[in-house]
Amino acid sequence: MDFALNDIQQMLQDSADKFIHNKYDFETRQKHSKSELGYSEDNWQLFAELGWLALPFEEEFGGLDGNATDVMVLMTELGKGLLVEPYVSTVIMAGNAIQRCGTDEQKAELIGSIVGGELKLAFAATEAQAPADIKAITTTATGSGDSVKINGKKSVVLHAASADKLIVAARTDTDTIGLYIVDASAEGISAHHYPTNDGGRASDLTFKDVNATQLGDSNDVAAAIQAVLNDAVVAVSAEAVSLMDKMLNATVEYTKVRKQFDVPIAKFQVLQHNMVDMFMECEQARSMLYYAAITIGEGNAEAANKASQFLKWKVGQAARLVGQTAVQLHGGMGVTDELDVGHMFKRLTMINTLFGSMDYHLDSLVKQRQAA
Amino acid sequence: MKVLVTVKRVIDYNVKIRVKPDGSDVDLTNVKMAINPFCEIAVEEAVRLKEQGIASEIVVVSIGPANAQEQLRTALALGADRAILVESEANTESLNVAKLLAKVVEQEQPSLVIMGKQAIDSDNNQTGQMLAALCDMPQATFASEVRIADDKVTVTREIDGGLQTLAMPLPAVVTTDLRLNEPRFAKLPNIMKAKRKPLETLTPETLGVSLSAHTRLVSVAPPAQRSAGVKVASVEELVDKLKNEAKVI
Repeated sequence: MDFALNDIQQMLQDSADKFIHNKYDFETRQKHSKSELGYSEDNWQLFAELGWLALPFEEEFGGLDGNATDVMVLMTELGKGLLVEPYVSTVIMAGNAIQRCGTDEQKAELIGSIVGGELKLAFAATEAQAPADIKAITTTATGSGDSVKINGKKSVVLHAASADKLIVAARTDTDTIGLYIVDASAEGISAHHYPTNDGGRASDLTFKDVNATQLGDSNDVAAAIQAVLNDAVVAVSAEAVSLMDKMLNATVEYTKVRKQFDVPIAKFQVLQHNMVDMFMECEQARSMLYYAAITIGEGNAEAANKASQFLKWKVGQAARLVGQTAVQLHGGMGVTDELDVGHMFKRLTMINTLFGSMDYHLDSLVKQRQAA
Repeated sequence: MKVLVTVKRVIDYNVKIRVKPDGSDVDLTNVKMAINPFCEIAVEEAVRLKEQGIASEIVVVSIGPANAQEQLRTALALGADRAILVESEANTESLNVAKLLAKVVEQEQPSLVIMGKQAIDSDNNQTGQMLAALCDMPQATFASEVRIADDKVTVTREIDGGLQTLAMPLPAVVTTDLRLNEPRFAKLPNIMKAKRKPLETLTPETLGVSLSAHTRLVSVAPPAQRSAGVKVASVEELVDKLKNEAKVI
């Protein structure tokens, strides 16, 4: 099977790689992460200029018609810089939901503004009791069209503090799951904003009779929400794979220069075995990433859901081994604030908890198998 | 005004170079390749001239293997209008490259040729000067500023201990220094458009140039490994080591 990138993907990869090398070194990333906003607005405008915000959207609405593999290529490069800009929440999740469910008028208005860098969104689907299972959502939406009222709580909504609008998943009067557009400053929303362990931002939101507009014509869009989550799993897994590669390389290089008993510690066979295990996990996670990106791109919903779950499980497992081993082999400095290894491990840990942990997905896959 | 820009395919500057075990050359196996950074600055300068309405067409040219098309496509994505690849696997030493470029200049008749001052692989810093001589054009090397007005190009050059400004009639050859500009990132829509821009492939034979070797690569060696640092007990010992061992003071 040929996994070589095409010319356009190759140039996209080069362009993103150059951005990370020239404009997004570790210190710069830390500065953005610790700023009041939590990311760089200048970078966001640059992303708009470079067309990255338009990548997965339909050409008709100002997008560039990219597929899951194109997004994977971009996210793999951006992941190397531990990106803190709200790309996943605005483009991969909320924008994607608008593209899948919105009316043509909503797409023209909202996607056009995302592509131009003028609009940031957050996707509010997860709840404390429903970190990944859409069927368990309890937030309610009553009414229809432009006069919907939202009530309930959402947990760990990524980048909600910087969002202009929220796309909220809620249970309808007819017990289906719909999506609703809510102004982020609407009356009735109370928010607890906080930094996440990996240097990002998230919020817990409470909705009390909040005015909302239904996204699209249907109020039964659970399948579309699942498709959005599948795309998000591929995006963050691409980040995870590139971080694991980076941690492996950093660990190999470090063990070649760190001496103990007058020899580089890379000479010790037991450490070589550890690094071989890291390498194998990286390769297995990469293979699963390619498999999932291709399967999701083929459009079979059942196969896509399963591929996304396999990917999330494998990446979670690999990330834990690679992250823990990298930190162990770096010794105490592996968890210092000054070295990026600890920050990469934190990001991998956060990725494992997003959209359902590896244990959740493994359990779900086993149950599906038993039921079949 | 037509601007011709040269682009060389080299190892990406972020890659750690490996030398072949027999020391015969640099190992290029599975190594990421990119546009030579000085050539990228040359492309950026041409694109800026076009954006200012001074240049009307930018032609990028590369001499190298078939996959140098990748670097030409990148230059097209950055804003060049069309590309020419002179496909040649061997003998791309400076004089041969200058001879091939001279033929391309003869065909294209550009008003300005912008080149990187040197390529980061061989560090020769020769081709621009040779091309200017072969084409009998004025040249300004190490440019840190380029201004064009009234069929004249004014170039500020970085020289030891200061700056020198030269004025030349067009057509002319300019080679770029590092501080001339900061190249842009390729925009995704332009990357897609680059695929449809024309890329012509020529050979040394079609240009009527026979390539002969004037130099022979004898060996390549990696830099000496940096030895570990030592702790000194006093300032006096440090000064003594700097004076007598390192001989830097």
